Amino acid sequence: MEFLIVSTLNGVIYGMLLFMVSAGLTLIFGMMGVLNFAHASFYMLGAYFAYTLSGLFNFWVGLIVAPLLVAIIGMLIERYMLRRVHAHGHAHELLLTFGLVFIFEELIKLFYGDFPVSYQRPDYLNFAIFNLFGTDYPFYRVFIGLVALLMFIVLFVLLTRTRVGMVVRAAERLPDTARALGHNVPMVFLGVFGAGAGLAGLSGAVAGAFFPTNPNMALELGVIVFVVVVVGGLGSLAGSLIASLLIGVFSSFAVGLDWSLASLFGLIGLGDWANSLGGLVTMPLSSISATVPFLLMLIVLLVRPAGLMGSKN
Amino acid sequence: MPRWITTATAVAALGVISPAVQAEPLKIAIIESLSGPQTSTGRLIATAAEYVIDQTNTAGGFNGEAIQVKEYDNAGDTSGAATKFREAAADGAHVIIQGASSAIGGQVTEDVRKHNIRNPDHPIIYINVGAEAMELRGKKCHFHAFHFTTTAPYRTVPLMQVMSEQGHLGKRVYSINQNYSWGRDMETAIVDNADRFGYQVVDKVLHEVNRIQDFSPFVARIKSENPDSVITGNWSNDLLLLMKAVGDANLDVTFGTIFMDQPGNVANAGNVAKGHYVAHSSNIELLDEAGTEAYKKATGHYPVFIEPTTLNGVGLFAEALKKVDFEGGDINVDEIALAMENTTFDNGLGGMHVRKADHQAVIPIVVSQVASDVKYPVDGTELGFKPVKTVAGADAIYPAQDSCRMRRPE
Repeated sequence: MEFLIVSTLNGVIYGMLLFMVSAGLTLIFGMMGVLNFAHASFYMLGAYFAYTLSGLFNFWVGLIVAPLLVAIIGMLIERYMLRRVHAHGHAHELLLTFGLVFIFEELIKLFYGDFPVSYQRPDYLNFAIFNLFGTDYPFYRVFIGLVALLMFIVLFVLLTRTRVGMVVRAAERLPDTARALGHNVPMVFLGVFGAGAGLAGLSGAVAGAFFPTNPNMALELGVIVFVVVVVGGLGSLAGSLIASLLIGVFSSFAVGLDWSLASLFGLIGLGDWANSLGGLVTMPLSSISATVPFLLMLIVLLVRPAGLMGSKN
Repeated sequence: MPRWITTATAVAALGVISPAVQAEPLKIAIIESLSGPQTSTGRLIATAAEYVIDQTNTAGGFNGEAIQVKEYDNAGDTSGAATKFREAAADGAHVIIQGASSAIGGQVTEDVRKHNIRNPDHPIIYINVGAEAMELRGKKCHFHAFHFTTTAPYRTVPLMQVMSEQGHLGKRVYSINQNYSWGRDMETAIVDNADRFGYQVVDKVLHEVNRIQDFSPFVARIKSENPDSVITGNWSNDLLLLMKAVGDANLDVTFGTIFMDQPGNVANAGNVAKGHYVAHSSNIELLDEAGTEAYKKATGHYPVFIEPTTLNGVGLFAEALKKVDFEGGDINVDEIALAMENTTFDNGLGGMHVRKADHQAVIPIVVSQVASDVKYPVDGTELGFKPVKTVAGADAIYPAQDSCRMRRPE
């Protein structure tokens, strides 16, 4: 029981963090069709900006201003880089953002050094919110989850219930018609890209204070957010949320379970034989817990190529 | 950007003026991870190595010329290292210094071995200052490879010994390590020493390297076994995240670590790090103050993490150079290698030398504890590493592996 509750809670919170980072990515892809490899770099920039700002002012200023700065950088990239290569097709956009990843990583090292910086949450956020089976549960983890939840609600309402969302969706579906109706479509794309980058910046500002803020943080999260977006269905916000939670919970349970292929053989009486094989057969699930998301992606792609909530084409 | 360092240009200038035939300069290639995720380690190694060579050059260089050092960026992977090795060999390098990553170390040492078989007249020496895999001193050992860093058992034994003496090891030990050669070496070392220090390994976990953002599921697993101490060879994020997750859950365990002194760890973990142990090759609090300050003056920081190891290793190499004299003629690399075998170098904690059987350096290990009353606080905090005990190299070192069959030059 304890294992079940603790693992679920850990998994859900981690899933919410993944959602927070991948929300912007799926937004940008869904609305603009741009597969933005540099998305996790925006996450890193958010954390570093928030670190600098929290040193100059305080934690909350960092939390609010850093995402805005990242959004501005995102808009500049959209306006002066992506828009230029857009005419040449998706491959060029993809390669451009791929290059940006390396540039951001080395730039961060140039300005902040090679080592993790000490971006800390304020002391008054540093308390245990409840005690679970003798283990203190830090409030900040819950805080991360709440911010992500808030983000989902705001985005969902904005896109489906307001005029802004209607224009954005129109610009994506039928750009020519939207333009004919007097909407500034390039401006809409600029706004969407900026908002997506800003969301990644916000998640960096929030999560950077919990996980270390270091020059490798984009690299570490970069792949997994793509998995989230693919599993959830490219462009689907709700799909991203479900995929994030699935990945979070599955990874969390995988750590606690010492299952291996050998134990599977054990069920049909071949356990001793399987154990004698060693190698991959006896590898416990916990040792490969980080591959669980990829396994999930593989299965989802085989069964539902468009992703959990993705629409065909 | 590669650059030849010629601080002692005066020496070179003298060589041109004097009527003697031009001497062959000693060329050192530093093949390191100077970009990519491992930059934090690679840059430190390059800094420390260049510091030692600079000193030698200031004292007159070698063979009548300034020693030439060139940096090659392997970008953090083995294929990059292989390319850069070929480049360095073409540039006429006599010595290669490398340290960040055992995988790259394995690539470089094999490349050096093959090069030396094909070019017996122009061999290259490999100075390993950071790759800790046992295999490099075992199956992959060869005469021209020198290993100045320790290995998993080499560090685990002193760590366990001191933690046990201090009463912080306890009876229940949890082993959590990264799932690759280094982490596996660590796990083996932790299990092997259970009887010697009277503990029980309550659980052992291997997890992926630098892939895990959220360590809380592992903390839940650690908690369920109720250990007294957690021994881990984790480095970088894997150590930091693990330590923070344990701290957030307020678990009462003592960490025994190998890489706690990596810059940024103490600042990020804060008071969570306090009381935990690290086994490292040196602690500057025990060293001569003048030398430490001189290093800070030249590089801007005190020697930390992998820098003391590099200073020791390249220091012994520089000491060995004093024993050979080619009188301005051609450089004989084999002679330098033989001199390294017979050199004793004082690293400030005692004499260190190279074991002939597998070219593993015999160096003392310092076990330190994170505390607030330290001479050199780190990372801008008030915390630092308080030396608890220095264990002599002979007491800590593991026996040479049978798999090492070294062919020596005739």
